Formats: sequence, C-alpha cells, structure tokens
Amino acid sequence: MDFTPTEEQKALVGAVRDLAKHLTPKDEGRGAPTGPQPFDAEGWAALAEMGLLGLPFDEEKGGFGASAVEVALAASELGAARVALPYADAMAAAAALAAAGHDLLGDVVSGEALVLTAFNQTDTAWMPDWPSRVASTDGRVVRLSGSALGSTDLLQVAAVVTTAMDGDELGVYLVRSPAVDGAAVTFDDADAIHLGGREVLDASLAMGNVALGGEALGAMGAALRLTTEYLKTRKQFGVPIMRFQTLTQRAADMYVGVELTRSAVLFAAMTLADAAALPCAEVADTISRMRYLVGTYGRQVGQEAIQLHGGIGMTAEYAVGHHTSRLAAIERTFGDTRSHLARLASDVANHGSVDVV
Amino acid sequence: MQRQLREADRALQRELRAFFENEIPERLKSGYIKDGEVVPDLLREAQRLLDDADLAAPHWPVEWGGRGWDELQLHIYRSEMQRARVPMPLAFNTSMVGPVIAAFGSPELKERFLPKTKSCEIWWSQGFSEPDAGSDLASLRTTAVRDGDEYVVNGQKTWTTLGQYGDWIFTLVRTDPKAAKPQQGISFLLIDMRSEGLTVRPIKLIDGGHEVNEVFFDDVRVPAEQLVGEENKGWDYAKFLLGNERTSAAPVGSIKAALAEAKKQAELKRSTSGTALDEPLLAARFAQLEAEIMALELTVLRVAGDSRDGRPDPASSILKLRGSQLQQEVFELMVDVAGGEALTWHTGTWGSDTMPRYLNYRKASIYSGSNEVQRNIISGGILGLKG
Repeated sequence: MDFTPTEEQKALVGAVRDLAKHLTPKDEGRGAPTGPQPFDAEGWAALAEMGLLGLPFDEEKGGFGASAVEVALAASELGAARVALPYADAMAAAAALAAAGHDLLGDVVSGEALVLTAFNQTDTAWMPDWPSRVASTDGRVVRLSGSALGSTDLLQVAAVVTTAMDGDELGVYLVRSPAVDGAAVTFDDADAIHLGGREVLDASLAMGNVALGGEALGAMGAALRLTTEYLKTRKQFGVPIMRFQTLTQRAADMYVGVELTRSAVLFAAMTLADAAALPCAEVADTISRMRYLVGTYGRQVGQEAIQLHGGIGMTAEYAVGHHTSRLAAIERTFGDTRSHLARLASDVANHGSVDVV
Repeated sequence: MQRQLREADRALQRELRAFFENEIPERLKSGYIKDGEVVPDLLREAQRLLDDADLAAPHWPVEWGGRGWDELQLHIYRSEMQRARVPMPLAFNTSMVGPVIAAFGSPELKERFLPKTKSCEIWWSQGFSEPDAGSDLASLRTTAVRDGDEYVVNGQKTWTTLGQYGDWIFTLVRTDPKAAKPQQGISFLLIDMRSEGLTVRPIKLIDGGHEVNEVFFDDVRVPAEQLVGEENKGWDYAKFLLGNERTSAAPVGSIKAALAEAKKQAELKRSTSGTALDEPLLAARFAQLEAEIMALELTVLRVAGDSRDGRPDPASSILKLRGSQLQQEVFELMVDVAGGEALTWHTGTWGSDTMPRYLNYRKASIYSGSNEVQRNIISGGILGLKG
C-alpha cells in the first residue's frame, strides 16, 4: 500500500488549488452567501475546462482515464476553498452514465450538459434502492412517475439520474429536461432511459461518496488551519489564546480527526480505483466506513472550529463557519452517518476482522 | 497511490504469517498471560524462538541482528505477530534499551549486552519515572555520583513494569545537579538488579495484579563502564528511545485480534435477538470500532510509507494517542459482551478475565507519555501552538 501521490497527482492538486482560489465565494460586504447556493454556470465551465468532470472515466467513454483517487484529491481542494459547486453530485451522476455506457457522458465531461442526481424523497428515509417512484416499460418506451429531491439546485440540469421501481425491479433512470422546482423534481409519466440496476446505483454512489469524502477532508483541513491561525493571533487576557491548554488540547484532537479522515478518504478512493479487482461488498463497506468516519470527525472538527474561534466563528464574513455548514450538509448527502453505520452493523457477523493489507 | 502491497511485501507477509502460525507453539500463545499476569518463562521462551529465526529485533541495525526492513515491512511484521497472538518480544529489551545501546553504547557494551538483550537472556526493566517525575521526567532526582571507577546511585524509581523479573535495569540518573537546565545533568546508566542496595517492592494495582514496582537505590555501586554514551547526555538518548516508541506505539494487530475475539464471544451469548451480536446497539459498536481501527491502521501504514525517505511523518504523533484509546475501547466492549460473567474475576472463563483487563488497560492512556502529553506534542510540535 502506498499513499504517496504521483507527480501527476501533485500537479493536479496544484492546478485545482489555483483554480479553486478564484471560485471561493466572494464576500458581499457583510460576508459570503450562506447555505445552499444557486448553480454557478461560469464556475462549472471552469471545472469542465480543467477536465475535472471526466477524471475517473475511461478515455473511450469520453473521460480522461485517471481514477477515483484524482477525484478525491480534486474534491479536497474544492472543499478547502469552499467552492459551492455540485462536484460530488455531478460525479455520482456521471458515474451512473459511465457504468451504463451512456453517450451523454461526453457532454457531461465537456460541461455542455449538467446532469445531477435526484435520489432523495421527502417522505422516506435514505433508501434510494426502494423508492416510491414507479417506472413502466412499454416496448422501448419507459415512463417514470413520482417525485424526488436532489441534493442541490436542479434548475439548470439537462437531465437527472434517479431511481424507480419497475414492478419489483430496482432501476436507475435518466430523465432529460425534467420538471424541476429548486431541488425538487416531479415526474409525471416522464420519458426516461433505463441505465441499469443496482450495480449502476452502487457505482454512482461510490463515486459520489468518494468525491464527498474528498470535499469534506479539504473542508476539515481548512477549518483546522483557520483555527490554529486564530489561536496564534487572537489575544485575550493580554496573551494569544494558544496559551490556554484547554484550547490547544482540543485543537490537537481536531488534528487527529483530520488525519484519520485523510487516511480513510484516500484509502476509499484507492479502493474504488481498484474496484475491478475487489469484491463489490468490500468496496461498498470501505466507503461506508469512510463515510462513518467523515461524519464523525467532520462533525467534531466543524463544531470545534467554531467553538475555538468564539463569536467570530458564527459570522458569515469569516470563513470557518461556512466549512462547518458544508460539513453538516455533506454528512446528510448520499446517506447519513447513521445509515452507513447501520449498513455496517448489519454485516459485522460476516467477517472476523477488517483487513486492509 | 496504490491500494495493493508490493509483491515483495506481500511475500514477506505470507512468510511471516506462516511462521507465526506454525512455528510458535499454541501453549506459548495462549499461556503467556495467566489470570491477567505475564508468565515470564513462557515469554522468554517465545522470544528465544523468535530470536532463533532472527525475528526478535528486525528493526535493530543489521550488524546486531536487524533485518534492514523499512517501516512498512516492520508494520507487517508486528501486525502478523499480533494477529497470531505471538507474545511480543519484551519491549524494554528490543524497543527501548537495545536500540539505545546499539546507537550510543561503547563497543564493549554492545558485545556484552545486545545478543542477550535480543534473546531475552537478560530481562530488562525500565528505570525512568520517579514519584515526583512523571510527565515532567526531567525533574528526576535519583543521583549517580562518580567515585573512582564507579558511580554511587541513590534514589527511587517507580512504575517499573515487570521489575520483579528484571535482571538489569536501564536508568536515567542525575549526574550533574548544577547543570543550567534539568535536562542537561542526566545520564543513562545500566544497573545489575542483583546489586547490593537495590530493592524492588511491588505495587498492587486496581485489577489485583502485580505488574509494576518501586525500585529503591541505596548506595548502589555501578561500574562506570556501564554508562551508555557520554555523561550528562542521557536526556538525548531518552528522547531517542521515546521517539522509537512512538512510531511503534499503535498495537493495531493486537487491537484487531481482541475485537475479533470479542465478536466471537458475542456470538456465543444467547439473547432475545438471537445472539448478543444480533443486538443492534452492540453490532453498531462493533461496526464503529472496526471503522475506527481501520482508520488507525491506515494511518500507521501511511506514516510507515511516508517515512521511507527517512523523516517520520508528523502524523505519527497520533498513533500512541489513538492506539491507546482504541485499545481501551475494545477492552471496555469486552466487558459489555461478558455482561454478568464479568462480575466474577479470573474463574477460568473468558468473561471472568474481562473486568480486570479493562481496569488494567486504563494505564494505556497514561504510560509512554500520557495522552495529554501527546496532545501537547501535536499542538506544539505540529500545529505550532506554543503555550
């Protein structure tokens, strides 16, 4: 096992870091915009131009032949710079297209077509593999009914990837020009394309989760950096507050959380990159373990970053709270910490221990 | 970045796994701890077997029996040994005093001590902590005064683990009480525990066991050639020793083996859901710990790989901290699994050993630099937060 980035990977990280600087949300006088953001087409074009939308996909499918590791590394830089673009979501949708061999992937990679996922539902817990949405097939015509929620603004999508039940059969479907309202989408006998079954859903969520993990890692590292800088410069009682061990001990625990998360995210990315050589369950389990750790440590780091800053951490004009906000959202995207843990818990009897080498 | 091990490392893993599984007798693996206490003869026997196969101290310099392995290969070695429940070579010998003598000792000291240290013919004890020098080790007060060809040692050491079996003790002693800084007047001295004036007294712990001791020095005369390196440089050697300890301080293999054992035991306990392992909250606890241990093991591997260019990765500071926490959490979970069976101690059943072990391992977050000290190392040394 080797965690050392290659020269190409280092170059990618440097390039994305430079790009991400320009995409950091701008201060609007009283701080950066808060909460979910509308889609930024200009920023998206920049990601596409750098080739980030096609990183893990084979060249013959229109991708750039890198892997999930590069996705995690790129996402980490976007997370560190608070870039509010739906990169992880788009990678999940693109991975579904790639798994199905659908030729819309080319337009997705070039940035011409925005395709995002809509796997959530207002009236169910996270269970994309058991939706209330219904697909009906009549010859070559597939129609979808029901509703779904995306994880972000869907107003500019060319298509969404969603799931539906065709009888007892779970399917993943592509719906072009869907009827959207913010993050909500309604299918009323909508024309759909069947992309595949559970294996396509698994491929989609695996890539989305690795990208999310990368983004979270970047956000956590940035929150820690901001916090340590603040502890060095902020003065109270006539001294920099790093003189107080009650704060520095907690900063040390934040560092522990970030580094454990880094190991887990990079390993999950390497595992997905190597998925062809591994049992499916091992890939999914590794990703769920990573998401459990990202959830647990992301929450700790995000909350502690605000607390160690004090009041300034609550303000929109200061960066650190935005990281906490984003980390809280990541934790509820493509399953939450509890659902990943429940999945793992249901499987503990099937192995003695978890071996990574 | 690459998930798979290199072929050479995989081959080493296979070779070690076969050796530890087949060549170390089961009676040593299951017998070296009895009712929570080390059985010294069995530990010595196991270490001799390892030494016969050049597997007692692979991290030592090659000329003294090391194998020239890199950190990743050493990690494979440790985790395979722990996975097979082979008694680890006595840490005082192979992780602590051995590397110090090999790095700083005179040629005579190396010849005299290293082979017997490696084979455990000599059982070493550690004489660092004192009643008033715990985390603040540099405030130690045991003195060694030069008198001709000898040092005369007076004072007291404490928390001397397994000192009741020790043949020799490596100590930090104050040789220059007038030094400008407390760290500057300390020397590293090797002392025969059969010396006149040296007394070992047991300290009984909350688990009922006799694991640690006080060691008293009353005009103990020590030949001056048993000084390691230079006089008053002992603090540097101690830092070297503690630094070595930190990189190997996460016993991931043992933690995993213990968790797997707990899981097996949980499956043997009937419950309303089937077995105890079918209870959602207990199953979730196993799943959490498996994820946390995975993250720790990956971090060990990441740090091991990164140090291939010689410099330790700063993330190595978290290994002792997190390793001790997870070890404690797994032993705590074992008590939960044992349930009512944990209320009787050492009756010969699995569950009856769990409570004293849980209590015993509260030590893990205190020894080798308490976890608060580890956090200070991280905040000061890595994050640059100067108190």
